[in-house]
Amino acid sequence: MTSPTPLYALHERIWHWLQAATILFLILTGFAIHYPDRFGVFGSMANAVLFHSWVGFALIANAFLGIFYHFTAEKYHHFLPRSDDFTEAAIRQMRFYLYGIFKGEKHPLETDPRRKLNSVQKITYLLFLNILLPFQILTGMLMWGADRWPRLFDKFGGLWVLGPAHTLGAYLFVAFLLGHIYLTTTGSTPMSLLRAMITGFEQPSQE
Amino acid sequence: MIVASKLSWVQGRRLGFIARISIAIGLMVATSLAQESKPAAIDKANARSTAKLSHPALVLKDEDGRNVLESGKPISTRRTCGDCHDYDFIANSFHFQQGKTEMDRALLASHGMAPFNLSPGMFGKYSILPNRQLAGPNLASAADFDMSQPEWLTKCGVCHTGAGISEYDLQGHRFLAPEAKASGPLDPSYTIRDREKSQVVPWDWAKSGIAEADCFLCHTPKASRGARKKEMAAGDFRWANNATLVDTGIVAIGEGGKFSYNRAAFNKDGTVKSELLDLSDPTLENCAQCHGFTARNTTTIQPIQHADIMRGTEKSGWIYNGAKISDTVSPNVVGREKMNYPWDAHAAKGLICIDCHFSVNNPGRMLHEDQKENLRYKPRGEDIAVYLKQPNHNFARGNIPPETVNLAMHNTMRGCGDCHDAEKIHAFLPYKSRHFQALACQTCHIPAVHFWAYRSDDWGFLMDTGGSRITYRGIEGGIVDPESEVTGYSPAYIPTPDKNGQLKIRPTNLISGVYWFDKAKGRPVFTWQMQTAFFTGLPASGEWTYRPEITKAFADKDGIVDIPQAIYDTPEKIALVKGLLRKYAGVADPELRIEITPWAISHSVVGKGQAIRECTACHSKNSVLHRPLDLNTFLPQNVPVSFRGKEARVVSFEGKEPAFDNRTLLTSFYIIGSSRVGWIEWFGWIFIGMVILFSLAHGALRLIGGRL
Repeated sequence: MTSPTPLYALHERIWHWLQAATILFLILTGFAIHYPDRFGVFGSMANAVLFHSWVGFALIANAFLGIFYHFTAEKYHHFLPRSDDFTEAAIRQMRFYLYGIFKGEKHPLETDPRRKLNSVQKITYLLFLNILLPFQILTGMLMWGADRWPRLFDKFGGLWVLGPAHTLGAYLFVAFLLGHIYLTTTGSTPMSLLRAMITGFEQPSQE
Repeated sequence: MIVASKLSWVQGRRLGFIARISIAIGLMVATSLAQESKPAAIDKANARSTAKLSHPALVLKDEDGRNVLESGKPISTRRTCGDCHDYDFIANSFHFQQGKTEMDRALLASHGMAPFNLSPGMFGKYSILPNRQLAGPNLASAADFDMSQPEWLTKCGVCHTGAGISEYDLQGHRFLAPEAKASGPLDPSYTIRDREKSQVVPWDWAKSGIAEADCFLCHTPKASRGARKKEMAAGDFRWANNATLVDTGIVAIGEGGKFSYNRAAFNKDGTVKSELLDLSDPTLENCAQCHGFTARNTTTIQPIQHADIMRGTEKSGWIYNGAKISDTVSPNVVGREKMNYPWDAHAAKGLICIDCHFSVNNPGRMLHEDQKENLRYKPRGEDIAVYLKQPNHNFARGNIPPETVNLAMHNTMRGCGDCHDAEKIHAFLPYKSRHFQALACQTCHIPAVHFWAYRSDDWGFLMDTGGSRITYRGIEGGIVDPESEVTGYSPAYIPTPDKNGQLKIRPTNLISGVYWFDKAKGRPVFTWQMQTAFFTGLPASGEWTYRPEITKAFADKDGIVDIPQAIYDTPEKIALVKGLLRKYAGVADPELRIEITPWAISHSVVGKGQAIRECTACHSKNSVLHRPLDLNTFLPQNVPVSFRGKEARVVSFEGKEPAFDNRTLLTSFYIIGSSRVGWIEWFGWIFIGMVILFSLAHGALRLIGGRL
């Protein structure tokens, strides 16, 4: 029996779960703001706005800590796709998700601490962490600062631009989150990837 | 002697100012000590009115300058008041001119007013409510003649306080002066339309006389609007100002309506007794005569006040009264037991009309802002003697729809923020600046109107009274029936520009009017033209008789056109009346139109306890800001709708009854929790749905294949 593979350091796991918690909370408070009459779980819309703002700042702080960690620990390369991650490796990975997984084929990527993410993950996280998250932070910050920097707020189109844009980003976040959660079940066992993100170790495949 | 009197008057005003400050400080202390005792606070606030000083004794003079006691002639305010005050300066203001000095097409155009209006004021502006149009100068045909200047005075002159329009013709000549002559048979200053003969006939100014400025109507607490109305309506303009004084004991009406003077009301030196005339700043009651229901603290609100339906209040239903709604004895306000707060918070604090709507050169109240000089307070004020000589009677005012009147004075009164520190008292409110930028204070502080108001005035189909069909909102039953249940109403919301041009959402009543427009002439069809088209004539019984074509098309089996039948529910009925207007009234190209007129609400203000605080009131799918206020049940469909002078899509026929739909008006406002961008919502939820479906299908296939 092979020993578990150390996959995620403590810092990475803390960063990930803080990110997960803040995003989940932002989605819930966001719904309370977008549907205040139908999703009033925070007592009032004013509470939801307040919590959304504070947790948004927590997310930003965590994002910066994450960047700091990944650069200083030289782990940023995990997130950088190589050229074949957009072509062959991506096709292999997609073929596995759409076909191979039903046939019991082996996962095309053997995870190890030096290569933790498959090509589809890399592309998705590149879009998520470098485009969608900054987009949400920017639009959210501008709306948060509507009273503080009204000219800047208006320069970006005011609420009629920023509100719907932030809402669109939120829907994409929800979709990502759901897909992300489901794909955690595609490890060697349905819970293996989730367990890895909790314990830091991935159990080797029993096959 | 006169100088001495003036000095004492000036000093008195200064002392009065000190006295007012002292009383105000006293009031603040009293209020803080007795917060639980609001009625007591109201009484004390009201006590300030007793601190006024008497006006110097004066002689009531006739037009020749003689004491009226000797001559028995009508009082001339030009001679009586004009001895000390600049009569012509005062009479050149809006209260007396009513737009006569603003008859300028360029001015009208710059305010988006249709060219068929003669002025932006009440004298010259077309309004759907009476559906009357002032006749302009240089008319070529009697067919273009509706209401003349003398008729206007008989209808509207009771409120519009003499001088100006009741003293000068449209050319600027003083009536009865040698140079004052009609320019032709259709000169609207010297003629009137005889309804029964349907002819334009001369007006006899020598018989009616001139109505000079009625200073007493506003400056005598016991002014009688009812008596003045009677004289004006009868065309007896000369005695209108005397009539105003009938309740003071100075003037008496004898047999045949002849006016005389009560010698006991005069001092030995011929001056009138000050305590009877009681000249003062306008009181709440003075303003209430024409501007709506205002009272310090009353539990009974009569629908007929000062010989009329409450002018002003009936347009939007506001009540300026310091008494609590729960204490109301009449009318029967539904749910008043729970309304343990005043009709108006400002009235309860003792504010009177002139506290906000003051004379703009009154040194005690004058405007201090001078943005060009960057001054918020200008310590160098007008001298009080200048003010007393030439008190500006263009009073400070706001700018609420649909008022186009007195354009020069728009936005001159202080805003709410000039007295209230909104930032300080809205700690609970996130994004204060955005809220204050988007919403007028009234939006949250007038959440509901607990009185009735006009709902519609339908001139599209004349009833057998020869007039329009008027409906009210906020009441179950007749407005004069004390048993009627007053349910009040929730206002609609419209955007209007504030003094900086910033659009703000504010509450309003809506009056829907249906009327015929003469496209060939570019103006509304006159009421007399409508009557000609609808009726065969006015029989001696006083009942109008519909033309057979009308009866045949509109009446039910009993042959009578009742209210439910008096509607345009088919294009054929519209076409029929169009044909009648062409055939009998000479209207070449008539078109049925709808006009939705907003009457914004600025009184009936509630304090923080009753103001809208719930975020979801506005930020929700059913946002009050998009509340669909019901309109006239009988509004015809597929006819042009205008809103504030422009064609607009503001009427929805989707529900049971036609309702106001402000979505096209509020497009510039993104209301979080309420506003939606359709494609984003669709895309977002479809995308999420697809991810869920993919995950479920993928997982199910793995489960079925034993790979999970």
